[in-house]
Amino acid sequence: MKLRLPLLCTATALALLTACTPGTGGGGGGDGKSFEFWSFSAINQKLTVDAYQAKHPDVQIKLTEVGSSTETAQSLTTALAGGKVPDLVLIQGDNLPQFVDQPQNFVDLRTLGADDIKGDYLDWVWKQSVAKDGEVLGVPTDVGGMAVAYRTDLFAAAGLPTDREAVSALWPTWDAFIETGKRYKQATGKAFTDNAATSVFYQAVNQVSEKYYSADRKLVYSTNPQVKAAFDLGIKAATSGITAGQSSFESAWSAGMGQGAYAAVSAPSWMLNSIRSTAPDTKGKWDIARIPGGSGNWGGSYLAIPKGAKNPQAAWNYIKEMQSPAGQLEHFTRVGALPSTPSVYKDPKLTDGKDPFFTDAPTGKIYTDSLLGLKPFYIGPDSAAIGQEFLDAITNVEQGGGNPATAWDDAVSNIKTAIGE
Amino acid sequence: MTATLTPAPSAELPPPASPRGRGLAERLSPYAYVAPFFVLFGVFGLFPLAFTFYVALFDWNPIGDQVFIGTDNFTRMFSDPRFWNAAGNTVSIWALSTIPQLLLALVLAHVLNHARLRFALFFRMSVLVPYITSVAATAVVFAQLFDRDYGLLNWLLGLVGIDPVDFVQSTWGSHVLIATMVTWRWFGYTTLLYLASLQSVPRAVFEAAAIDGAGPWQRFRHITIPSLRPVIIFTVVTSTIGGLQIFTEPLLTGSGLTCGAVRQCQTLTLFLYEQGFGQFEFGYGSAIGVALFVMVVAIAAINFVLSTRIKADR
Repeated sequence: MKLRLPLLCTATALALLTACTPGTGGGGGGDGKSFEFWSFSAINQKLTVDAYQAKHPDVQIKLTEVGSSTETAQSLTTALAGGKVPDLVLIQGDNLPQFVDQPQNFVDLRTLGADDIKGDYLDWVWKQSVAKDGEVLGVPTDVGGMAVAYRTDLFAAAGLPTDREAVSALWPTWDAFIETGKRYKQATGKAFTDNAATSVFYQAVNQVSEKYYSADRKLVYSTNPQVKAAFDLGIKAATSGITAGQSSFESAWSAGMGQGAYAAVSAPSWMLNSIRSTAPDTKGKWDIARIPGGSGNWGGSYLAIPKGAKNPQAAWNYIKEMQSPAGQLEHFTRVGALPSTPSVYKDPKLTDGKDPFFTDAPTGKIYTDSLLGLKPFYIGPDSAAIGQEFLDAITNVEQGGGNPATAWDDAVSNIKTAIGE
Repeated sequence: MTATLTPAPSAELPPPASPRGRGLAERLSPYAYVAPFFVLFGVFGLFPLAFTFYVALFDWNPIGDQVFIGTDNFTRMFSDPRFWNAAGNTVSIWALSTIPQLLLALVLAHVLNHARLRFALFFRMSVLVPYITSVAATAVVFAQLFDRDYGLLNWLLGLVGIDPVDFVQSTWGSHVLIATMVTWRWFGYTTLLYLASLQSVPRAVFEAAAIDGAGPWQRFRHITIPSLRPVIIFTVVTSTIGGLQIFTEPLLTGSGLTCGAVRQCQTLTLFLYEQGFGQFEFGYGSAIGVALFVMVVAIAAINFVLSTRIKADR
């Protein structure tokens, strides 16, 4: 018995060591055609991967759905630091700047021919993945055009119009949106929208010409009147009693959506998938109206190839084929992600695309319209942290009894602490 | 005769060819036996610890530059309101969970030790069920019980005409919620520790006291508590060290790594994790880790002093 304990320990040590030895990159075999792909969960990436593999039977793709977009970016950071990276990775727009800031971690896609396809994409979307010395780090897979999803049955019960044109006409501005909310609340006694932070502030602050950074990449969040205006709108919505006080993607938010605890929710194009999966029983009770202010973009993702990738060429072949205008159009018909390639915006496949879950709303047309007249702004490495502090300040006023009068100053001072300015 | 006097044939023993070598092997073998633990501890315990101290002196971007900045991370930490907020939350949650938990365990141990308790084994085992339930499962259940809109607790409050309480979004509410989870998880474990210690007290002492006219409260006050003094100090110290490192409950209770919009329930470990693995400020995260390490060592030292005193008293 005395002998066994050390033996057992040695065995454990060996097992641990084995477990710690890096594997040999799974799907990325030696044939140069196969590759490993990290994507987000819950965006149906597998459909597109399967379609590619059907066309190229000799290619093996090892798809890993890492988690949410933030979790994927965190895993990527850890992987880059550790040296064991996938061949291809999907990065959400909000997380992109921190990687663009450190371009030495990625393959400069110009070396694989990115300049040849550059013209296919929306110029301002493309520019967000270009690093300081012109390195191209990612190819945009989709954009997050904006709209408002609303419940036709609840609108009808409140005596509001239900037709999507008439509903859009209710709120040309965010102030009108809040007024509509008050009408709804008066008629039904229930909350109009889910929360002020994401459904009002985060939408409004993405409709500006200059956000937290100026065009020459200086921090202007505390002095930019456009940001302050969006923040004030958020506070106004939070204190007007029209929100359910349920933060997006929390469990109560999901439950509330199924139970009709709110009638309208801001819906960037990727949100439609989320509504479908969160509240499948509400199929056919939704419709989609224009976003107040008419245009805007929130989100959208990029495909990038880390520097240590074993099969960068195979990954690039995938990007080139699946992210071409035709590839993105097909992707739209599969999962509804809005293409980042403007040449297909007039294509009947996109303009005639109707979504039965949302009362046959022409989603392709509504969302591409929201991108027209868009004023692009620079997104910097601290944009995500700044946005989060503003969100938290509004949530605190809405749900935590925070003082609306000092919310702005509090948020600015929290941001200064957070980004170490 | 001579045969019996002949020493045992030397072939049956290993030849002491080199007595020095054999002595060395014998002297070294104990170290070989304990080596696996110390090797593992060195690789997975000591090295990460030392490396944390090293990283704490840098502005360390895991995918970018690592710049030596001396003690700047610590200067920043001491003037960071988020650090003090997290420290305050940690202490508040610790007090709200440890004090009721130890009192509850004390009373329960006293009851479970009662001579006439039926099904004693069943009761003694069932208090351990929360302890073996996963923290994540506990957190999910409690978050639903305490939910503002659809929670059971607020439904009950509604029945008696009290407005729904937003436990997660308010500071005291979130602390109570987390402390409840911690208490729920650990009271059974503490109870068993007390019970084990109580069972070493001869029953005759309780019986003699009862014959002399001591009521249940007097027996509890004058027999149970004094005989448990060493183990009470032990549990206070271990639950304090545990309380300083509380992580899973606040992470699963609030929204995200800040545990709510105004960090109302962010503990020190959660703040460390947010800075290290949310913002990827490895240097700053390590500095927080060092601060936490110092606090735990200080409390362990207090434990050492107290327990040596108790031994000296005896």
